[in-house]
Amino acid sequence: MRSRAEVRESGVSGMGGGARLGARLRVAGEWALRALVLALLVWSLALALGWGGKGAVERASTETLSEALVRWTTVAGPERVHVAFDHAPSLVERDWLAALVGAGTAVGWSGPSLLPTALAIEPRADPAGGVEVSVAAPAGALVVLRDTLGPLDSARVEALGGVRAYIPRPRATLDAAVGAVVARAALADSLELKRLLVLGAAGWETKFAVAALEERGWRVDAEVRVSPQTTVRQGSVTAIDTSRYSAVLVLDTTAAAYAERIGRYVRSGGGLVLWSPAVDAARLAALAPGRGRGAVIEDEGRPPSDSAPREALSIAPITGLVPDAVVLERRGEHVTLAARRLGAGRVVETGYVNTWRWRMAGGEDAPEQHRTWLAGLVSSVAYAGRVGLAVPPTNPAPLATLIDRLGPAAEEEVEAGGGLDPAALLPWLFGALMGALVLEWASRRTRGVR
Amino acid sequence: MSKFVFATAEYASGDWESAPALPANLIDSVARYTSIEVAPAGVSVRLDSEELFNYPFVWLTGHLPVRFTDAERRNLKRYVERGGFMVVDDHNHDITGVFHQTATEEIERLFGKLEQVPNDHEIYRCFFTFENGPPHTNHELNGWGDDLLHPHLYAIFVGPSTGDRRRDRIGLLYSNKDYSSEWNFHPETKRTMQQDPTKFGVNLIVYALTR
Repeated sequence: MRSRAEVRESGVSGMGGGARLGARLRVAGEWALRALVLALLVWSLALALGWGGKGAVERASTETLSEALVRWTTVAGPERVHVAFDHAPSLVERDWLAALVGAGTAVGWSGPSLLPTALAIEPRADPAGGVEVSVAAPAGALVVLRDTLGPLDSARVEALGGVRAYIPRPRATLDAAVGAVVARAALADSLELKRLLVLGAAGWETKFAVAALEERGWRVDAEVRVSPQTTVRQGSVTAIDTSRYSAVLVLDTTAAAYAERIGRYVRSGGGLVLWSPAVDAARLAALAPGRGRGAVIEDEGRPPSDSAPREALSIAPITGLVPDAVVLERRGEHVTLAARRLGAGRVVETGYVNTWRWRMAGGEDAPEQHRTWLAGLVSSVAYAGRVGLAVPPTNPAPLATLIDRLGPAAEEEVEAGGGLDPAALLPWLFGALMGALVLEWASRRTRGVR
Repeated sequence: MSKFVFATAEYASGDWESAPALPANLIDSVARYTSIEVAPAGVSVRLDSEELFNYPFVWLTGHLPVRFTDAERRNLKRYVERGGFMVVDDHNHDITGVFHQTATEEIERLFGKLEQVPNDHEIYRCFFTFENGPPHTNHELNGWGDDLLHPHLYAIFVGPSTGDRRRDRIGLLYSNKDYSSEWNFHPETKRTMQQDPTKFGVNLIVYALTR
């Protein structure tokens, strides 16, 4: 019996010159195919081991990122990756990418649809609770506020670059969606509210201020002057300090005797709400945003409307603003609301002197509107202790954090021949490998060699 | 800041103007004993008008049956709920009389049962002190009307009621004492009186202005 080599040799040697050349070429082709198969096997192995990714940019999109992160971390180990975001990555994805950066992978990203957005929530110093929400976003963007139960409110950003809102009963976290970016924030503190102290003469403004604040949930101490010898007291008014009072409300000059104590209280962090007639006493004027007041402009007797209630109230305009005073509200040329910082505390002064008419003679919602307005004045200056809360994971400024962790966005790099996705390449390699094997096998079989 | 204006309620039924000298006497007492800024003359205000809400203190009295109109009932309810203070005084001093029967019926129809004001309530101590509750009137002591000494006033209490705190602010005060007769004297007469009978009226006004 002849060996396989002898058969191969006899198959070639038994032919004519042209046929022999063709046969030799065919054998050479078969060797070439075997070499190709071997090369493809080596390539596939290299790709599987991640050697093929070295130097090339691996790419992923928001949809494929989670899968790509696993591959990049376990088998691929690319030098460079690029992620094209069409919405902000999750906290896990963001931190994972940052970890890749820490491990030496150059991570680039792009996301033209990601708008710069930041969300902050602060508890309101108000027994009714609630939080003040501030969202920074580009002008013209639509901001949608929502919590775990669904949308709460929406607003379009005006030219100043942000929106503010009051959420009465917030859940643990709050989201602000601006286009493809969702910022999430949680309350970090709860407030320890103290009592309020109201000082004034017996009159409707004093009575209704106390009533409105009590109805709002504040615990109120009051000293109401009825005659030079008689003061009606509610609660025991002792030391005026931040351990006892969140804010002091002074309606008129009857509190002048307390001016020095109130000044110390405010400078140590307390809040003061002044009605402008109080500045008739020089010692109280020294604390106020406005050192003087104009003559009272009486209301015209028409009932305050629900839409613009304060327009129908009497005012004693605030004058003589100190340099650091901030005007919060005007009626025409008259200042009706102003504020200032004084030491560690804050002072707000109102020029509205008969706000009780708002509550009594206003529209259907007037009592609630009056309570909310007055509580807003108080909460804008009130001192409150803070108690830390357990905070769930948040992402209050997704784009800023992304830039902080990964650097600024960069356009995707395009390299000739680079950036082939191994996962996409392997099936083609397998196909080519199988094709070469079949060709080599068919060539051998058709010339009678096993 | 606005001055205190004494207002008398005009209502469609009955004789609302039956104590015309009372406002002047109470205004005089408020000005005399306190530093409250008070308008020198009182006003009368229709119970069914929006003007009512410019006067958070209103005095209502009469001898005749009281039947409020729908508009008066709506206004009265809104007035008390918003913080207004109304004194309703039975000018007959007679719990079997028509004013008492009809006025209490109207009030309780709007607000529920009138509650007795405890005699240690703030209203008896906020300016002058009345250790035994509401001071008796000469009409009671002389046996007129129902020939009874009424030891208590009654009220509709309003205000916040949270936790263990009950609604404790008086929104409507009801009296069978007939202060409308007691304080309805010619103002000059006060000079000859050994004791000023209107002192409790000062307490009512001080209470209304401070609570």
